[in-house]
Amino acid sequence: MNKSELKDLMVKITVNRDEIAFSNLFDFLAPKIKAYYLQNGLISENAEELTQEVMSIIWSKSDKFNPSKSALTTWVYTIARNKKIDFLRKNSKIKYNDDDIREFLYEKNETDKIEENEIENRVSKINSQLDINQQKIIKMNFFENKSHKKIAEELEIPLGTVKSRIRHILIKMQKIV
Amino acid sequence: MNGTIVKNQLIFDFASGSLGQSKSIFTSTYLLLNSSASKIHNTFESMLGDNLFDNKDAEISNIKYTDCISSEQVPSTKIDNSISPLTKLVGPLEKINWKQIYKGFSEFKLNIEDDDELKLIKMDPGASVPLHSHGGKEYILVLSGSFCDEYGNYKKGDIQINDQKIKHTPVASDTDGCVCLAITEKEVIFFGRFGSFLNLFTFIKSFFK
Repeated sequence: MNKSELKDLMVKITVNRDEIAFSNLFDFLAPKIKAYYLQNGLISENAEELTQEVMSIIWSKSDKFNPSKSALTTWVYTIARNKKIDFLRKNSKIKYNDDDIREFLYEKNETDKIEENEIENRVSKINSQLDINQQKIIKMNFFENKSHKKIAEELEIPLGTVKSRIRHILIKMQKIV
Repeated sequence: MNGTIVKNQLIFDFASGSLGQSKSIFTSTYLLLNSSASKIHNTFESMLGDNLFDNKDAEISNIKYTDCISSEQVPSTKIDNSISPLTKLVGPLEKINWKQIYKGFSEFKLNIEDDDELKLIKMDPGASVPLHSHGGKEYILVLSGSFCDEYGNYKKGDIQINDQKIKHTPVASDTDGCVCLAITEKEVIFFGRFGSFLNLFTFIKSFFK
């Protein structure tokens, strides 16, 4: 499903409360959200529980999504991530509601208006400046939550090389963003 | 230590939701005060979002879309945009009940259950901290006023990250002094004339924790 198809579905969901559109979105998104939770070390049962919560929020709070502030991908991601934080902290005494800070930041965002496509441009710029190996490492380290040691094992390179490559990538990113 | 990398790492960890509560509050305040950090954060979130949508599908076994429509939802609470998260937690900075550590230097510890200690630091105009280094990492975010040390000048919205290798003597601005939000991962080690006394003090203090 491409971005404009997703956008159409969101409009149908928000404006018409279209359940068929939502079921299409569910079929596309739920397996990806579940995969995200599995990557973060949750067992399948919990991953599905949280996926259901995320999809429920997408349905019930669809009017909160503001396309001029963020891409749909980012909005969905932030909901999924916040649920992960809630879940992981459930057992610690929560004195501070993380969801509040993050929603606050989201709503406050307009203070430094982000030019449309500016972020997209930056992301593709970062990707274009990193070679395949660097992209692989950053994907493993940051997105798949693999430890430096695990990356070294999988790519069969020394641990020191992994560390220095990550350093290098982070410096590059700072220059670009 | 390359501060840039640590800053990016902190922002990335916030975006990916892997920070403890102290660092989470610290970083959100940083993002509110510093627009370039906030842009980096938006970029990271967007990358993480694209990545989620690129995920290989996991098989769904027990949930259906109808479960998500039928479940009753509590109406969402309205977020008050006029008060920052930190202010919500500690109240206005002017009304904080500071505890003086030594002349010109006060602290206020936030009561957060976390391995990292989060506190507010106030330095009076012109006050300085004796030369010291750090057992673990220390993160300092300037909330008002400014300070300088051997490495540079830090104003509102700037952060400084110090580790074991750094020894420095921060001095607060002569005119406004300085209020900072700070995270210390481990006890600070002091050097110099007042240093030994302060070391002993922090040492003794640790017995009564």
